[in-house]
Amino acid sequence: MKEKFLVYVTIEGKPMARDPEGETIHRVLLAKSRYNMVKSVRVAKLLKMIVEAESEDEAERIVTELCDNLRLYNPAAHKCSIKVNGRIK
Amino acid sequence: MLKDIQLSLTNNEIRLVRKMLGREPNQLEWAMIDTEWSEHTSYKSSKKVLKLLPTKGRYVVIGPGYDSGVIDVGNDYIITLHIESHNHPSAIDPYGGAATGIGGVLRDIICMGTKPIALIDPLRFGMINKSDHSKWLFINVVRGIADYGNCVGVPTVAGEVEFDESFERNCLVDVACIGIGLKKHLILAEARYPNDLLILAGGSTGRDGIHGVTFASKVLSEKSDEERSAVQVPDPFMKKLIIDATLEIVETGYVRGLKDLGGGGLTCSLSEIAAKGGCGVEIHLEKVNLREPDMSPIEIMLSESQERMLFVVKKEGLEKISKIFEKYDIPYSIIGKVTDDGYLTVKMRGEVLARLPAKMVANAPIMHKKSRKPEYIELYKNIKPPEEPKNLDEVFLKLLSSPNLCSREWIYRQYDHEVGIRTIIKPGQADAAVLKIPNEKFLAVTSDGNSKHCYLDPYYGAAGCMAEACRNIIAVGGKPIAMVDHCQFGDPNKVDVYWTFVEAVRGMADYCKALHIPCVGGKVSFYNEDTVTNSAIKPSPVVMVVGLINNAKYITDMSLKMVNDAIMMIGLTKPEMGGSEYYEYIHNLIGGIVPKVDFQFEKRLHKLMDKIIKKRLAKAIHDCSKGGFAIGLVEMCFPNNLGVEVDCSKIPSINCRLDELLFSETHGRFIIEVSKDNVEDIMELASKMNIECNVIGRVCGNRFKLKMNDHDIFNFSIKELKNIWSQALPKYLGEI
Repeated sequence: MKEKFLVYVTIEGKPMARDPEGETIHRVLLAKSRYNMVKSVRVAKLLKMIVEAESEDEAERIVTELCDNLRLYNPAAHKCSIKVNGRIK
Repeated sequence: MLKDIQLSLTNNEIRLVRKMLGREPNQLEWAMIDTEWSEHTSYKSSKKVLKLLPTKGRYVVIGPGYDSGVIDVGNDYIITLHIESHNHPSAIDPYGGAATGIGGVLRDIICMGTKPIALIDPLRFGMINKSDHSKWLFINVVRGIADYGNCVGVPTVAGEVEFDESFERNCLVDVACIGIGLKKHLILAEARYPNDLLILAGGSTGRDGIHGVTFASKVLSEKSDEERSAVQVPDPFMKKLIIDATLEIVETGYVRGLKDLGGGGLTCSLSEIAAKGGCGVEIHLEKVNLREPDMSPIEIMLSESQERMLFVVKKEGLEKISKIFEKYDIPYSIIGKVTDDGYLTVKMRGEVLARLPAKMVANAPIMHKKSRKPEYIELYKNIKPPEEPKNLDEVFLKLLSSPNLCSREWIYRQYDHEVGIRTIIKPGQADAAVLKIPNEKFLAVTSDGNSKHCYLDPYYGAAGCMAEACRNIIAVGGKPIAMVDHCQFGDPNKVDVYWTFVEAVRGMADYCKALHIPCVGGKVSFYNEDTVTNSAIKPSPVVMVVGLINNAKYITDMSLKMVNDAIMMIGLTKPEMGGSEYYEYIHNLIGGIVPKVDFQFEKRLHKLMDKIIKKRLAKAIHDCSKGGFAIGLVEMCFPNNLGVEVDCSKIPSINCRLDELLFSETHGRFIIEVSKDNVEDIMELASKMNIECNVIGRVCGNRFKLKMNDHDIFNFSIKELKNIWSQALPKYLGEI
């Protein structure tokens, strides 16, 4: 029986790459406020997909495959991580 | 992490370094020399050949050798111009690669103390109607240019695109920029006065783009996707702050040298300002504002992190300058000072890590390369012409929607071409863009390249790029006053490739000398080939030409304007079909004779057009180039939906079949719209100059009617043609 799974795809810059958007949020909003205990901010793109599959593993495999094949991210510039976040009733 | 560095120096160069220094350099010193002597920064394979280009002229203030060329446009104003490419980064990360390419060329304009006012983007890709990879590159490169240019507030006013299979794996992303400023604020990248302070301002120094230069000097391999640190992240909002802050700081009068950090990072900038100024520099690495705490000295010295500028300032100005940086919230640090010893000294907490003569680092030994004419050149010259097609209607419609000839609106509608409110002639309206400049004059700008012509005949192909660019300037009413060139080729160690490079430069140089157009700068990008297919791109010299228009009333566009006006053809059409879109796209035929450029004729043609413009005899001017006469003419019909009736037998020509008459890309031709009263004047002027010229038809209705004597060739509605032409690109991209 197929079930529906909620899969999170996070696409972010490589750890070594700069992130001007995150830096700006940090510099302008946080570091100059009373929340200066926040030491760094990085912005990422989050895709939430509802996927029909036999199992969690299969859902994760399908999304991994489609991210690679359809170039949802550019392996030269981004890091892409995939996580299944439970079932949808 | 860079633990063991891999040198790309040749054995000879390694020996030479040891001999010049009289000792074994340490690891940091090797890395610095390796970067600065790479092809990308040193021009070691091209310098000798580039000397052929004329660099002096009445408008030239600063010629090649600095970050941008500088020309005097009168009334104390100067224009700076530069062209660059970001081919290798764009091939692996099209969005970021194209965007940081713009970032790079903007810095070259800012660091002369001038304000960037226009961007120009010549692009080259594989066939987007066949390859998904090329489509992906194309869409993202255009988006990268648009996002960066639009955010930073500099209009993208012109450009050109060419599609050819040879660019499938190596797209070419050229970026050119124009700046304006007052002559008294011009600043050079030189450190001339010992004890001046060195201030590094802008973005922090990180690990991105380390060894980007050596990366650019290498052939792209399958592994490139893994070379991740060579990808940089664009930051247009920081760049906007840097532009504004830099210009304000320049006005204080305390800045004595200014250099951007691009390829080669600190190593390149420091050695070059010291070598050019005849001084030395000493820097303290612990003062450099780092993004990551544990960076090694090699990483700091080679990092190509974006958005950084190096200021050389008088000590007295420090307080005032610091305040400006603080106002714009731009991080800065004093990293060292100018010395009188001629050395580039790198220290960390007092300890000397590297000490090299700046002149030695900045001036790589010139390499002498062998060249040999490739065999294909003669082979392709003598191919048999294709049979004349029976159905020319089909051919014409197919050409109109070919990727190389169809409307570019999909591209330029993504660009903000208005910001700054200087753009008088906008993309798509004429052959060149026209900008208003503060001294009441106007600047015409265009770029051109033609890799199909250059492949078959690099000499006439490259001369032809210049000829076409100049025609574009003339067509809007301008006089060409300076050019910058960008030479893009394969691996210069291959004798065949090098031959095409030498021939192309010779072609451009001969044109520039004959027409007195100085070259004020440029760039060379070699190694545009990939190891998988072992093929180089077609030779792709690209030129940007700027022209001056002294009076608003001379500005002309290409749209037909009034019914019953005469349409005239200036120049002779010849059966020069090699590399034409007609041969390649319709007949799948590579070969034939490439259009030649007659330098003496060009001189006369420029004079004739100058007279026609000054007397305001032409209402619309368009040059005939890619696609030939038929495509040129129909482009003039589109803006106002005005039709034409033309008799092709009236076109001045020699030995042309009908298809050749319609689609030959012969140089030195213009189509103009003239009110009937002025026809005689033009005929007289042309005959005086010994230039072929004839009335070929008139503006009328809304149909595109071409005939040959009494025999009809085409009869289309303009609307129908316009639809095909303007929808082609979105269709290839799957948007319609």
